[in-house]
Amino acid sequence: MTKALALDPFPLADAEQVVSRARRGDQAAIEALYRAFERPVYNLARRVCRSVEDAEDVSQETFLEVARSIRKYRGEGSLWGWIRAIAASKSLMRLRRNRYRETEELHENVTPRRREDELLRMDLEAALERLSDVSRAVVWLHDVEGYTHAEIGEMMGKTTSFSKSQLARAHERLRRWLGEEVAV
Amino acid sequence: MTHLSMDQLLELRDGLTEPGGAAARDHLAQCPQCQAELERLHQRVAQLKALPTLTPPRDSWPAVRSRLVKARRRRYAWGGVGGLALAASIALVLLLRPALPMPPSSSPNAQAELEAAMLESRLLEQALTQYAPERRVTDGYTARVAAELEDRISALDQELQMTQMAPAPEGDRALLELWRQRVGLMDALVNVHLTRASNVGL
Repeated sequence: MTKALALDPFPLADAEQVVSRARRGDQAAIEALYRAFERPVYNLARRVCRSVEDAEDVSQETFLEVARSIRKYRGEGSLWGWIRAIAASKSLMRLRRNRYRETEELHENVTPRRREDELLRMDLEAALERLSDVSRAVVWLHDVEGYTHAEIGEMMGKTTSFSKSQLARAHERLRRWLGEEVAV
Repeated sequence: MTHLSMDQLLELRDGLTEPGGAAARDHLAQCPQCQAELERLHQRVAQLKALPTLTPPRDSWPAVRSRLVKARRRRYAWGGVGGLALAASIALVLLLRPALPMPPSSSPNAQAELEAAMLESRLLEQALTQYAPERRVTDGYTARVAAELEDRISALDQELQMTQMAPAPEGDRALLELWRQRVGLMDALVNVHLTRASNVGL
């Protein structure tokens, strides 16, 4: 169970009716679901995946899965929570397919760390982009989407501890890159 | 003084209780540096949540719809598993038909006509599969007309399924009529791809 899904942040007018029609294969209803959730799905996919193309593919795959599986949605929990779980899972599958490009490590291996850090004052957007795929995914899914470490571990096929250590590692780097280290 | 690790700070930020949590809280209470770090972590979450929502560069609905229609068509085409199931169940209805009283309005050739319509629909499906329009460059107008036809075929397939599942007294005639409509739409769809929309007159 996710932490923050009591209320649907993206309410859909006549959601019950739309879902019921979508279950019968009504294409207009599926389009209504697409129109209502296209942006948050794309945003999640884009934040987790690195490229626009991957995010677009993930978004399409998410709505194909929504159309295929809408019968399984029983109305327990918010509709966005259900769709978001599909989007998160598809995004992580895409990352696995791309074999987790570890750009952050590549950078750090070729640049003296301290000097670079002193020069760097990135904004959050750029720092997030610079994180490795796994770290960025964990930061986004945990800190923004509200998934627990146990849920993230499960979605990634890893342990809860893996998710926790990835988050800690990511925040250490963000802190450094954003120039927020407290002088000791 | 040993400051709190990032793991410990995150545990505190997220209100999780881990072994050693009490000691971490005690340290936090008397360490301004760790308090500042924790405050930054809280702020960072707020900043992450405040990042602008990234919007898709284009409307992907036509692509999603096209993939949905193709998937549905595959299910109803005779070559697909679902299609085989639909065809098999219709064949079963046809097999049982002679044992059931035929509605007075039924033509004696209804069964043969139905089989012919189904066969024609299957041949058109095969022609379309062979042509593989999804791998070809299509102009906007053709794409729109094709999408409209695909929508209508999709709606018709739903109707076919419902008619087949709940046969009415005039069920065989209704079924025949639906299959004829499907042949007409499939024929138009094949034509629209082969000869382009301008020649179809839709």
